[in-house]
Amino acid sequence: MNDDLAVGIDLGTSYSAVACMQDGQPQVLPNEWGERTHASVVSFLEDATVLVGNNAKKNIITNAENTVYSAKRLIGRFYFSDEVKKAQAVMPYKIVEGPNNSVRLQVGQKIFAVPEISALVLKEMKAIAETALGREVKKAVVTCPAYFNDNQRQATKDAGRIAGLDVLRIINEPTAAALAYGFGKDIKQKICVYDLGGGTFDVSILEIGTDVFEVISTAGDTYLGGDDFDDRIMTWLADDFLHKHGLDLRQNKFCLQMLKEAGEKAKIDVGQFGAAAISVPGVCQSPEGEVLNLEMKLSADHFNKMVMDLVQRTFKVCDEALQSARLTAGDIDAVILVGGPTRLPIIRQSVKHYFQKDPMVGIDPDEVVALGASIQASALLNRDAAARGQASYLLDVTPLTLRVGTVGGYAEPIIDKNTPIPIEKSKTFTTSRDGQDRVLIRVYQGESKRAEECELLGEFEFTGFRIAYRGEVQIQVTFEIDSNGIVNVSAMDLETRQKASTTINLSSGLSEADILQAIDKNAEMELAGRAA
Amino acid sequence: MEPEFRAEVEALSQALDQLDYFGVLKLPQSAGMADVRAAYHRESRAYHPDRFAALPDEAVREQIGRIYRRINEAYTVLRDDAKRKKYLADISGPDRERKLRFTEVEEAEVKDAQKKKVEEQLGLTPNGRKFYAAALADIQAGRWEAAERNLKSALMYEPQNPKFKEQMALVEKNRPKVDFKIR
Repeated sequence: MNDDLAVGIDLGTSYSAVACMQDGQPQVLPNEWGERTHASVVSFLEDATVLVGNNAKKNIITNAENTVYSAKRLIGRFYFSDEVKKAQAVMPYKIVEGPNNSVRLQVGQKIFAVPEISALVLKEMKAIAETALGREVKKAVVTCPAYFNDNQRQATKDAGRIAGLDVLRIINEPTAAALAYGFGKDIKQKICVYDLGGGTFDVSILEIGTDVFEVISTAGDTYLGGDDFDDRIMTWLADDFLHKHGLDLRQNKFCLQMLKEAGEKAKIDVGQFGAAAISVPGVCQSPEGEVLNLEMKLSADHFNKMVMDLVQRTFKVCDEALQSARLTAGDIDAVILVGGPTRLPIIRQSVKHYFQKDPMVGIDPDEVVALGASIQASALLNRDAAARGQASYLLDVTPLTLRVGTVGGYAEPIIDKNTPIPIEKSKTFTTSRDGQDRVLIRVYQGESKRAEECELLGEFEFTGFRIAYRGEVQIQVTFEIDSNGIVNVSAMDLETRQKASTTINLSSGLSEADILQAIDKNAEMELAGRAA
Repeated sequence: MEPEFRAEVEALSQALDQLDYFGVLKLPQSAGMADVRAAYHRESRAYHPDRFAALPDEAVREQIGRIYRRINEAYTVLRDDAKRKKYLADISGPDRERKLRFTEVEEAEVKDAQKKKVEEQLGLTPNGRKFYAAALADIQAGRWEAAERNLKSALMYEPQNPKFKEQMALVEKNRPKVDFKIR
């Protein structure tokens, strides 16, 4: 009986949630205190336990150096990427370089890979589900932003494994939201999912029928989210403070965290009440020893002006998605808003203006993704749903063009963006030197012809084919994108049909040995407030 | 899984490399866009790997995975007008056997053809395009003499361009006929 249970987990930048199908309906599983969403914050306590969730969030200020948040911004990134540089400037925890240009986080004397941190969040979600359901949970569908590349998806999947979960599938957040919206409804519509999360923005255009959910196009920006709205308020507060007192609050990581908290609160207040009174008593001390307070008022108009360009950026992405789908805003039957920041009136009004219709109401933007994931989780476990005609099929696409590196620093397209997945495509390579015994290819994802402007997925080395004169050996390399959006590469000698062996030289991911080690490490760590 | 379906999967996976994309989607070559999409949805209902995710037999899952990847491949080509046209020409030609799958070579040919079409529309040389664009703007604004000057310049760079000649004829027809000007 234990075997046929799987949950859906929305692993968000700021908040996560877990849901499960119960009596044919998807339900969000609350924790013991009735909380339905949980901060994706991991705090390492002095007694060697780990605190995850909304209580850990309080530690961002009091236990700043040992508390990790927004880890999703770093997952699957290389150490040299801009996002990592940006995070190093603002995050109170230490970001260090690991092997193969990977990112590691240092907490006290311990070093963690980013998926290990996400795994702790997943472990908490697993524990919440187990407490709520009263039984063990081993299988899950985990969501990720539609615009995530292969590295980020692979790392998300690794995080699940480390947490002791069998990850049945990685599905895209907007697709999950659409599934939750269309579930059990007999409708035929073209819908747009506008998903503004804490750290990422995605738009997907879908055509939904009774049981088929076809993603026509997807577009996104993995550098745009609610955090950027907070940043605007923070900058405004800090600039004003600098002007008044000659002190830059951003210089001190402790002050910076207080500022961040004030910024986030102000954003929520403006959204809810139309204005915010910001008050941070004792935000810092002047060199003369005087304790200074931060007192400001923020009106909705002022806030809207501050973030207008961010809002407009989201509609550039909408334009792109609609164009790829060969549709106009008027063709869309329903707009679904996903993510906490979409509660802001400025977003709702702008969406209404853009699509010329009110976004759907009655959909909880914080919970809909987890609900969709749980529907998919139960569908993947169920063997006879299809026979009973109760299944729904997700026809998703790859968000980015898959490319191979060629001479001169170019990257040639292999599989175009918005191609339905799973899919495979082959390309034939030939040796360029006499007696060549290895072929090296670099695989990229991105929309630029120049390799350096794309995201490197890895460097593959093929060996074990015949040794011959140059040009005589033809190696067929097959690129496959599976249902998770994860890329697999394999090669074969075309004449002998012999499979070449593949080694991955460069990759941001964890090796099999790393993962096995991480699984043990994760199992040893105890979640605070939970008896193991 | 019913034995009939199992046999169907076996037969289809044997025949897969001999089928063209219309065969994969079980469509006639005359099928319209709506038919292509409907067929794709129909085949997805039958062969979507999610249906068989809980199946213990890995070999069957791999067979179904291969079939479904080919269904996606077929849909990608047939839903795109330019690719479909090229594909149809390929499989109707003498090389049919080798052209059943749309490879990067055909992909590149389609892209080249599209690029050429755009170039024919706008001119093949940078200067030709520049003068032609200016001339079109002049025609829009009714500045016939300026348009004529620009088209003459454009034709210096590309004397054979049919679009340029066509616009020139239009200008000559519309230009006010004045034999001399009084200053």
